[in-house]
Amino acid sequence: MSERSGQVTAESTAAEAAIVAVEGDPAVDGTAVHKRNLADSAPTSTTGRLTERLRQMRGRGAMEIGVIFVLLQIGCIVYYLVDPQGFPYLEKANFNVLSQSIPVLAILAIGAGILIIAGEFDLSLGANFTFCALVFTRWYSDGASPWTATGMALITGISIALLNGILTTKAKIPSFIVTLGMMLFWEGAALFYNGTTATLMVPSETMKAIFAGDLGFFRGQVIWLLVLGGLFWLMVHRHRLGNHIFAVGGNPAAARAISINPARVKIIAFCILGLCVAIAAILTAVRTGSVQPGSGRGLELRAIAAAVVGGVSLSGGRGSVLGMVLGAALILTVQDILLLGGAPGFYLDLFVGLIIVAAAFFNRMIEGKAE
Amino acid sequence: MSAIAPSAEPAGNGATTMSPTATEARTGEALLELSGITKQYGPNTVLDDVSFTIHQGEVVGLLGDNGAGKSTLVKTMSGVVLADEGEYLWRGEKLGTINRQETEKRGVETIFQDSALVPSMTITRNIFMGREITNPIGLMKIKKMNEIAAQILDSVVTIEGIKSPNQLVGSLSGGQQQAVAIARAVHFKRSLLILDEPTSALAVRATEALLNYLLQLKKEGVSSVLVTHNLHHAFQVCDRHIVMNHGRKILDVRREDTSVEELTAAVVEGPEGLRRHREGKPLA
Ligand SMILES: Nc1ncnc2c1ncn2[C@@H]1O[C@H](COP(=O)(O)OP(=O)(O)O)[C@@H](O)[C@H]1O
Ligand SMILES: [Mg+2]
Repeated sequence: MSERSGQVTAESTAAEAAIVAVEGDPAVDGTAVHKRNLADSAPTSTTGRLTERLRQMRGRGAMEIGVIFVLLQIGCIVYYLVDPQGFPYLEKANFNVLSQSIPVLAILAIGAGILIIAGEFDLSLGANFTFCALVFTRWYSDGASPWTATGMALITGISIALLNGILTTKAKIPSFIVTLGMMLFWEGAALFYNGTTATLMVPSETMKAIFAGDLGFFRGQVIWLLVLGGLFWLMVHRHRLGNHIFAVGGNPAAARAISINPARVKIIAFCILGLCVAIAAILTAVRTGSVQPGSGRGLELRAIAAAVVGGVSLSGGRGSVLGMVLGAALILTVQDILLLGGAPGFYLDLFVGLIIVAAAFFNRMIEGKAE
Repeated sequence: MSAIAPSAEPAGNGATTMSPTATEARTGEALLELSGITKQYGPNTVLDDVSFTIHQGEVVGLLGDNGAGKSTLVKTMSGVVLADEGEYLWRGEKLGTINRQETEKRGVETIFQDSALVPSMTITRNIFMGREITNPIGLMKIKKMNEIAAQILDSVVTIEGIKSPNQLVGSLSGGQQQAVAIARAVHFKRSLLILDEPTSALAVRATEALLNYLLQLKKEGVSSVLVTHNLHHAFQVCDRHIVMNHGRKILDVRREDTSVEELTAAVVEGPEGLRRHREGKPLA
């Protein structure tokens, strides 16, 4: 649309005014006056842009979680400074633990979260995770090169998720049911493939350096999270594909009416989940050196929980990559605090459960405001 | 070029109840021609053997009571709904597959009655949904899209209260949402603009601006189909009126050959009312 379009409209409005029986040119004036309102609305100052950014974060549900996360970190640091022995938070040992666990859950949460934005679920995420880890360790311990083992794991993860995507979109069965069935199927398949005993692997030094490097205060998994998080952020929030994912999850009928193919977009979202699952499985397998059938059980719920805590709407169409990562970080930080504080084991689940419900409640409020 | 001369096409005089003068030759080449369109939802025949032609540069009013099948017909024209039977001709050529991709290629844009917007996305992202402006690797040029979105929202429809193209559509009022849907269709239309009750949530001034815009489009050779319940609006801007009743086309008549009274009789009372009106009896 040319810059003069407003003017053209105004002129012809005047010309045709008689036919449409507009008294005088109020509409014309309205157009002219209004013209500058929106076109000039783009924020010019730094603070203006910052406010705009924050409002966008808010709209995606990532602001509240960000604030809570920062407050929690401040609280932990203050507590640590007051009582470093009783609460060893800012210690190398503690950060090593956190920087191994948070990236894995965060990467899974990104996979699960993107799929939820697209309007679907994958309950077979945990079973897929186990199967990928088994494929990876078995190929590797059978003498395959690290690259082959990695490739096999990626192919496995993406294929399992792709199958879910095809069944869900082509057969038009709700993903909830398809993936519930597939969860049981792949759990069984893992036993069939591997037996009930754990598979061990001894990762080479290069492999350790790549997938679980020791960076002093942090572990290498954090690098993986930063790189993947950045790429997925670009894809979800800046790439056209991300726009389609939001559209399909937010209003599939509208997406279709505008010639976006919801099935295609959903299948891509399933594949993204598969990719994330495979990477998370590899990171875990290299770190632990042993994989057991059933080791991924329950991960699907934790990944979905992290996404929800991060502001992803369970009804689709709303969420952010930053929120998903923060959601995973928040859940694991709270667990960590409870552990450091010496709370008994059952408190962990209890608190995490409360956080999830509170987060879902928050999301509901945000959505209520927007509609 | 077009294999079908406007005066010879069957769709124009398909309806038996039609005014005889409507069969006269019309200016403008046939753009979209539907013939024998039938659509069933379960046991309900929602469209029953509907045929008509939209010519280039023509403003056509599509009228009828609630449930007459107007929106279904609109969706058929825009390729979102596939008819069970019937033909879809574009500039005289039969389309092999009819879907939204095909109609989009030909420059057809629709403002759907339910807006077809995503509440959880911004105005800009809604307007450019599926047609984002991107760099070669697909990353969106958000600033540029924002600028264009602001420009179109400022130009065609005059709606108060939209602060920024970054606002979420879900936070807008009904009229503002309608303005966004209009802006999107207006920006991408090239040959045919279909408007399904576009003014239902618009204020008087915005409605006038939109109706005027249709007249401007006509000058540019862009056709439009206007679905509305306001017969006065339709009568003011439309060159031709098609009245639907229970899935059938009962009237297809040029503005010169009809009156608001006749259209009212057809819309409100169907074929009965039309007959009564022609016999000169007053509305029952
Ligand atoms: N997707 C659908 N499934 C079943 N029935 C439908 C569907 N869409 C429309 N209908 C029915 O078709 C009829 C015509 O609807 P519609 O085209 O929306 O009419 P109008 O726009 O003229 O009010 C109505 O009786 C409606 O209930
Ligand atoms: Mg309708």
